[in-house]
Amino acid sequence: MSYLLEQVLNGLSYGLVLSLIAAGFAIVFTSTGVLNFAHGSIVLLGAYLVAVLHDSIGFWPAVLVGLAGAALVGVAINAVLVRNLADKKPDTAAILMLGVDIVLLTELTRRIGNQVLTLGAPWGASVVRFGDVSLPTGRVLAAGVTVVAFGALWYLFSRTDLGVGMRAAAADGPTASLMGIRLSRTAATGWALAGVLAAVAGIFLTSFPAPGVAPTVALSAFAAIPAWVLGGFDSVPGAVIGGLLIGLTSALVTGYESDLEPFLGSGFGEVAPYVVMIVVLLVRPSGLLGSKEAVRV
Amino acid sequence: MKHRLRAAATLSAAALALAACSTTAPSSSSGEGGGDDVATGNGVTDSEMTIGMLTDLSGPFAAGAAVQVTETQAYWDQVNADGGICDRDVTVDVQDHGYDPQRAVTLYRSMAPDVVALQQVLGGPTSSAVLPLAEQDSLYVGGVGWAGSALAFENNQLPGASNAIQAANAVDYMLDDLDVPEGSTIGVVYFTGDYGGDALAGAEHAAQERGVEILAQEITPATTDLSAQASALAQADVAGVVLAAAPTQFASLAGVLASQGADVPIIGMNPTFNPSLLTTPAADALLANAYSMTSISPYANPDSAGVQAANELYASADPDGALGWEVPLAYVQAELLKQALEGACEAGDLTPEGVVAAFRDSSSTDTEGLLPDGLDYSEVGQSPTTTVFVSKVSADAEAGLELLDQVSGPSAESFSYGG
Repeated sequence: MSYLLEQVLNGLSYGLVLSLIAAGFAIVFTSTGVLNFAHGSIVLLGAYLVAVLHDSIGFWPAVLVGLAGAALVGVAINAVLVRNLADKKPDTAAILMLGVDIVLLTELTRRIGNQVLTLGAPWGASVVRFGDVSLPTGRVLAAGVTVVAFGALWYLFSRTDLGVGMRAAAADGPTASLMGIRLSRTAATGWALAGVLAAVAGIFLTSFPAPGVAPTVALSAFAAIPAWVLGGFDSVPGAVIGGLLIGLTSALVTGYESDLEPFLGSGFGEVAPYVVMIVVLLVRPSGLLGSKEAVRV
Repeated sequence: MKHRLRAAATLSAAALALAACSTTAPSSSSGEGGGDDVATGNGVTDSEMTIGMLTDLSGPFAAGAAVQVTETQAYWDQVNADGGICDRDVTVDVQDHGYDPQRAVTLYRSMAPDVVALQQVLGGPTSSAVLPLAEQDSLYVGGVGWAGSALAFENNQLPGASNAIQAANAVDYMLDDLDVPEGSTIGVVYFTGDYGGDALAGAEHAAQERGVEILAQEITPATTDLSAQASALAQADVAGVVLAAAPTQFASLAGVLASQGADVPIIGMNPTFNPSLLTTPAADALLANAYSMTSISPYANPDSAGVQAANELYASADPDGALGWEVPLAYVQAELLKQALEGACEAGDLTPEGVVAAFRDSSSTDTEGLLPDGLDYSEVGQSPTTTVFVSKVSADAEAGLELLDQVSGPSAESFSYGG
């Protein structure tokens, strides 16, 4: 029983980190209509900044720089590349983002080299025990921070003018613009938010139980894509549920692989998220909470 | 009319380009070299010969590859300073495939007519793409990693024991030296693909021979958090773990297992250790329980003249360079090729076919302790040796690995490909 509980907690805490990344995908999509395939590199960038700076300026200041750096790069990508696209179609922007991803990832890979850079997180490799169940402190913190972050997002989107403006811009850009909402401002805010969420996710993805920053972290970020898609492309709550579902599925399928192997074969844990995504999309083609328009894109 | 003209012009240009691409078989142009009685072919002139290196200078393995390029260049510079091979200077043609198999094939096509051998094709997917083409051209290919699938190619020279042999030895070592009892369960965490699959085959063979159970967990390079896998292994009460993955996974697995109170040995295959892991939060767990089972000597090996020579050469070529297993690896790949070239020269056949024949002729190749002695390349399809190096992760040893022993376990010796 405690084993099941441990795998469930593993899965949920990892799923929350994935949902941070998935929410970033969803926010960029709703605010600018871009499928941001460079998101994985921004996750890596945030963690990389913390890893290289923590020695000289301390961990917490380095975290601030990491969050700000990732947000700034997001805003810059939007301002310099996305806004100046002559042909503002989602597919053109998606290809552009693949290009940005290659450039960012190549440069970060060059800088990281074959090292595994430690993040210098004060929680190190410590674990929290609840009876028989142990969970890495980093994961418990990640869960707490993620819940707070989503609370803040809810407040932003439902209680502030800026957030309501972002929702209006997402629902109907031209009308929102006529009502006096500055689309450039809502777009920049969306990219900055996504950057911050990516950096937070990057920090938790590279601290214990993961050893540190290595280029493969950008790949791990792609594990959040099924969460984003099955949540519905344009829904932040959908991304949260999607992340939890994917985290839980991977942990349970991996944890019970030896029991499942006779009929599912080995390595099913890697495929399971995509299977869940396909099943959800078969039942609900617009994702769990997605709006119907978004899926037709 | 204009259109038709243009179309015709384009077509004929394309035809010409295609004709230019379809060169004759790259190794067919053998002729007699100048003053000596040595037959020569592609990549060899009277005063010079060219060898190739297809590596990854812009992709995921760029940093380790750069170390290998530096060491390789330094090695051949030294050989040239000592008079070259067969009275010819050796030039190294280094090309970057960026870990892209398509680019590797294109580069191979353009290089093959101008080289006498390829010292390295770095990477699993890239070398899988190039090996069959090179086999058709009878061109020597070294340094493609240790997957058993590469052994089937006559033109491939594996630098030491294959992944299956390493993993079989890991199981043997656990039972013989690390107090893992018969009848217990051993975990195998492995990358999907040639490398991990071959290691799993070796471990399963050894498990059968030695009366232990295997609990296999397949992962991909994107799996950087092994919590779920570690919990499953701890739940099954494994007595040890064999890991065929990369450094990130080594540290994560060791760290999580330790945090769950599973105090069991973890043995990583060839590329799973990197000295920078000792700066991560998993350092204590690695120091306590982690071993490395490698085809090639670790960086710190004071008893091996070959390793000392490799390290000194690298220190003078790049005083600030990163220390690690890439240094002896690059050196020994060059050394194996040098022996093959010298053999070909002695046999009077310095053609690509001659180089392949020369290394296949040897049933006892020695490399001054860089690889286990007595490598047998005469049998295509089998690992050239069953001996591997065992090291313990150590904070005191240079590059983080302290050599404990060279071992050749009973299951490694009874393992046979295709048998």
